[in-house]
Amino acid sequence: MLNITNLHSSIEGKQILKGIDLKVNAGEIHAIMGPNGSGKSTLASVLAGKPEYEVTEGTAFLDGKDLLDMAPEERAREGLFLAFQYPVEIPGVSNINFLKTAITEIRSHRGLPELTSKEFLKLLKDKQELVELKSSLVNRSLNEGFSGGEKKRNEILQLAMLDPKLAILDETDSGLDIDALRIVASGVNKLRTENNAFVIITHYQRLLDYIIPDFVHILYDGRIIKSGTKELAQELEEKGYDWITQHETGTV
Amino acid sequence: MKQGLYNNFYKYLVDSFDKKQAALTYIESANLTEKRNEAFSIFKELGFPTRKYEEWKFTSLAAALKDELQLMIEHDHSLINTNRIHSLDAVHLVLVNGRFAPELSDVLPEGITFYDTQATMAEIRFEDKISTLATEDDAPMLALNTAFFTEVSVLEIAAHAIVEKPIHVSHVFTVNDIAEFVPYRMLVIAEKHSEATIIETFHSDSLVHPLFVSYVCEQEIHESAILNTHMINTLPENAYFVQHREVFQYRNSVLNNSNIALSDVTLLRNDLNFQLKDVGTETNLIGAYILTGDQHVDNHTLVDHQSPNCNTNEVYKGILLDTSHAVFNGKVFVRPDAQKTNAFQQNNNLLLSDQATVNSKPQLEIFADDVKCSHGSTIGQMNEDALFYLQTRGIGEEAARKLIMQSFIFDVISKIKIESLQDYVSDLLNKKLNTENLTVA
Repeated sequence: MLNITNLHSSIEGKQILKGIDLKVNAGEIHAIMGPNGSGKSTLASVLAGKPEYEVTEGTAFLDGKDLLDMAPEERAREGLFLAFQYPVEIPGVSNINFLKTAITEIRSHRGLPELTSKEFLKLLKDKQELVELKSSLVNRSLNEGFSGGEKKRNEILQLAMLDPKLAILDETDSGLDIDALRIVASGVNKLRTENNAFVIITHYQRLLDYIIPDFVHILYDGRIIKSGTKELAQELEEKGYDWITQHETGTV
Repeated sequence: MKQGLYNNFYKYLVDSFDKKQAALTYIESANLTEKRNEAFSIFKELGFPTRKYEEWKFTSLAAALKDELQLMIEHDHSLINTNRIHSLDAVHLVLVNGRFAPELSDVLPEGITFYDTQATMAEIRFEDKISTLATEDDAPMLALNTAFFTEVSVLEIAAHAIVEKPIHVSHVFTVNDIAEFVPYRMLVIAEKHSEATIIETFHSDSLVHPLFVSYVCEQEIHESAILNTHMINTLPENAYFVQHREVFQYRNSVLNNSNIALSDVTLLRNDLNFQLKDVGTETNLIGAYILTGDQHVDNHTLVDHQSPNCNTNEVYKGILLDTSHAVFNGKVFVRPDAQKTNAFQQNNNLLLSDQATVNSKPQLEIFADDVKCSHGSTIGQMNEDALFYLQTRGIGEEAARKLIMQSFIFDVISKIKIESLQDYVSDLLNKKLNTENLTVA
């Protein structure tokens, strides 16, 4: 589904990604872990098409389509979704109107008819229950005045509504208390099918106790330096990032 | 001679004053005639303001003051579009080119009285009020209006009257055959303990020839009265609109004003002065503008805290595109007696074109020591993070930009409490954003 080869990217002349190779198949969950500044969020931003990042080398394909050649909205319409680490507050744009606009754009791209208001509200109600988000929040301005946990649950609500092929969760667990973490994880687990895939970017192993990844990759200094199964995450948690960085620089 | 503009239109006005006045002497009071003479001599000396005047530093009237402008003589009442807001349950009062059109207007409810020009001139009580609140020493455009206005009306809200239905004063201007100048004014008196809402819209169908409107509105808001006022400009291109508003607020009175310019008006200049004459008043001012093409909108507000324990809150927001120009000048005076003043002011602008200009000038002058005052002025670009966020949800860049602009302005519009009026203004907002060929740099 997602096929990244030798991806290099820089921002303001500073090289952040230094050759990423990653292949994600339908039905899989991949976790990307790494210390601060290793390039995790950059990878998410580059895949979603954030304009500040320049791709200097390499390719990224989603189901055979060249992601790097598309505007951010085209990537979304092709089935890519990014759950933001810091969801943006947009006062004045109502959450519900925003979702309706987004879903209409994406369905129209897929050749599907526009949902009637009734269908839309039914879908919204179902998905809302999935992330246990109060209706009062759904009717408010987009993320405005939401708590950290509410913002993250709102990201998962959008994910559920837009039904992407590939969802990237960028540190969705950061700043969540254990209850919110369970809700988010259970939402993701329920959304998981054999046709979609998830890339979960996280600093900690905590979220991976609830969402069991098929593969774990460790990102360090712009490259994936180690890949394995879920046991790798546990090992990393026990030994800390120093273990991997020392390992990398050959001081052990 | 000072630093004014003395063009052909100035000469035409100066030459026509005596003749015009001769015809009016029988109708108007000696008092008013005297005021007009004074105002005329001020205008005659100062001329039209140029950018050499501090208060007109960023707004030039030169292009608006066409040589061929003439005082409007003919009042054509046979117009069809009275700009009624259909979803709004309001009492409709129509002024055509400043003159009351009874056949187009609704009957007023109890507690509120309207006086047309004739009735106003005949009422001795108004003699001391007309042109007394607003004085023109260094204000040539106000002096011009005082000297030349032909139509004047009064809206009076009786003491203790609670007028529940909003009064929609629809100012409509007929499409003219020549370049015309329309000076007129209104006086609003809200007697003590009264409560009313006045919605003023300013409208004309598309104009071929320039229309220059000079409107003065004086308002007295007496003890414990609540007056909600709205000004909504829907004038088209080729309209030049200069307003002076002088509001006196007395003990514990409340004044709310919204100032909406989402039209295609070529030039709009508002001087909105609020004098807080007695203790415990509240003044809430909101404003919104989106300017495209070559539009120029200049809002000058002055809140003069003369007494203790008065509160003001002001928020103006605007978006500039193309080669447009916006000016915001927000003065707040806190006089030595005005202790315990709370005054907050904010002006936020989105500057979305390299060729557009904003001059935003908050001006606080505080002479009391126990006050809370703040002001803020921002000029920003499109929020790129918000734009990217919307795009990652499949919303196209153009639509996302409009959504952000919409939300920026809606923040102000959402403060309009009458739902159907808020909807009407939202429609104007959407129309302004969708029908324009936006060139967002």
